[in-house]
Amino acid sequence: MRRPTDFAVGLTMLGGFLLVTGGVMWTKGSRIGGADVHASARFIDVGGARIGTPVVVRGVKAGEVDRMELQGRFVVVRLKLDPAIRLPDEPVVLLNESSLFGEWQATVTARDAVGRDEEVLRQLGEANQGGDVLPGATLPDIAKLTAVAGRIAGDVAAVAERVDVAFDAAAARELRGSIRDFSALSTELAKVAREQSRHLETTSKQVRGGVDQVAHAAELLLAVSQRIDSSTASGELGRLVNDANDAARQLRTATANLSTVSERLIRSQMKVDAFLASVDSIAVAVNSGRGTAGLLVRDSSLYVNSNAAIAELRALIADVRANPRRYISVKIF
Amino acid sequence: MTSAHNASSIAVSPPSERGPWRSSAMSFRAVSSLGRWGRERVEGLGQTGHSLLDTISAVRDVRTWWPQVSPQAMSLGVRSLPIAAYMAAFTGIVLSLLASYSFTGAVPDYFVGTLVEKTITMELAPVLTGLALAGRVGANIAAELGTMRVTEQIDALETLSYDPHAYLVVPRVVAGTIMFPVIVGIAMFVGIAAGWICSTWLLDLTSADFTKGIRLFFKTFDVQYGLVKAASFGTVITWIGCMDGMKARGGAQGVGAAATAAVVHSAVTILVLDALFATFWLLGHEP
Repeated sequence: MRRPTDFAVGLTMLGGFLLVTGGVMWTKGSRIGGADVHASARFIDVGGARIGTPVVVRGVKAGEVDRMELQGRFVVVRLKLDPAIRLPDEPVVLLNESSLFGEWQATVTARDAVGRDEEVLRQLGEANQGGDVLPGATLPDIAKLTAVAGRIAGDVAAVAERVDVAFDAAAARELRGSIRDFSALSTELAKVAREQSRHLETTSKQVRGGVDQVAHAAELLLAVSQRIDSSTASGELGRLVNDANDAARQLRTATANLSTVSERLIRSQMKVDAFLASVDSIAVAVNSGRGTAGLLVRDSSLYVNSNAAIAELRALIADVRANPRRYISVKIF
Repeated sequence: MTSAHNASSIAVSPPSERGPWRSSAMSFRAVSSLGRWGRERVEGLGQTGHSLLDTISAVRDVRTWWPQVSPQAMSLGVRSLPIAAYMAAFTGIVLSLLASYSFTGAVPDYFVGTLVEKTITMELAPVLTGLALAGRVGANIAAELGTMRVTEQIDALETLSYDPHAYLVVPRVVAGTIMFPVIVGIAMFVGIAAGWICSTWLLDLTSADFTKGIRLFFKTFDVQYGLVKAASFGTVITWIGCMDGMKARGGAQGVGAAATAAVVHSAVTILVLDALFATFWLLGHEP
């Protein structure tokens, strides 16, 4: 009785253990026997990737992220890969969201297939430290893209709001009026252009007539020049030119002389001006009664004294003439 | 009992007494009732603590309890397998249909697999199986030991120098602790398989989508968490069943009351433990 019981219990335990273990291994994609292939990739940031994140090669799941560890300023991620998977040439690893629900995946692809995204190329460049570790980059997640889109939407909303403020009903009316004015203006311009075109046509006809006349005049000029040419052939023109040269030379000499004379005249005028200024100052002084001349002009006593002195001088001279010995004494020894 | 008897005899006042005497007697009875209730609670805690210590100390007596483990594992575990699988299967079916109904148009269909896997492994398989086995196993143990108590078989064991804890309690607790994770593990498998089959048959979901959903967020921790909870539930259910059974008094009525108490105590304890596991283990665990 005891043995069947033990067997049943043991069988149940074994069955439960196998079911749970097998189920876990199957769910995690583990294999019994057959070693997995590992590859490592270096990232600056792994975003939302975690241990167990699927690894995808050309869109097919080929393994999972096995381990993550910080090394300096990088994160080194070990990938557990299916041994049958062959990696592309120059492989790089991109971490990206695989859906809108926060699922991430590690995509192993060729470097040429990365594209021209500057940020991705920068990350790959920094993570490429050589060795067996593949360079990796993290693509922006939906949240970041949504945040950027949100900022753009905000900017657009702000611009739209400003346009709404600036472009109100009055502005719309003005714009419609401006368009109507512009339409009328363009009609006027078309009319003017047609008018000008007609005028231009008339003008061009007149110009054409003028050109004909000019051509006729040129023919006449040609004839005149031929005549002049024939007249200059006997040396008359040469003589005329020589005479003209002589006349010009004499004219230059006369001009130089005239220039000298005018300079002298200017200097004389300056001296006359100075003289007149002096005379003016003297006249002012005389008029104001300053100086001898002024006193002579302005003071009548001097005139009277002078007359008296002259009268006394005449009397003296008459006395001298009459009595020379009174005034002159000549002695010899 | 003596003090209770005294209290009731004092509370019976002479019929001739009226007015102040009557009101004081009522107050006395109320205070006495409160004291009796408090004493019984403390007494219960003391008995539980004593029983726990006796059980732990009885674990050393391996020769006595080890031969009893296999029959108990058969009785508590293997024979409980059908009911556990039955419950898990229908839980998986209902869960997949409910998930599909809830996710329509908003969430990808493969999340049905994710929800079925997470819910079955971490919560429904351990808790529902635990509650079902609390009824089946806990009541069974309480009734069995209660009958042994009221028929004085346990007293006879003590007379024969057998430790009733080593002979009756420890093998049941060990068998429950070992077999409950096995049963719950199988229930997990059955529940997820039923959900898978239901999703592919009844819903517009491919097998690849369902397995993708299962694998998407699967972690070994999910299974670990469910199995540890199952082990703790097994320990608690069997031990409570044993304690309530060994406390049985009176006759058949006492045995029935012990079985009922075992089921109620086990169910309440399972739910409290479930909340404690979620609070102290799941909450601090990195996803």
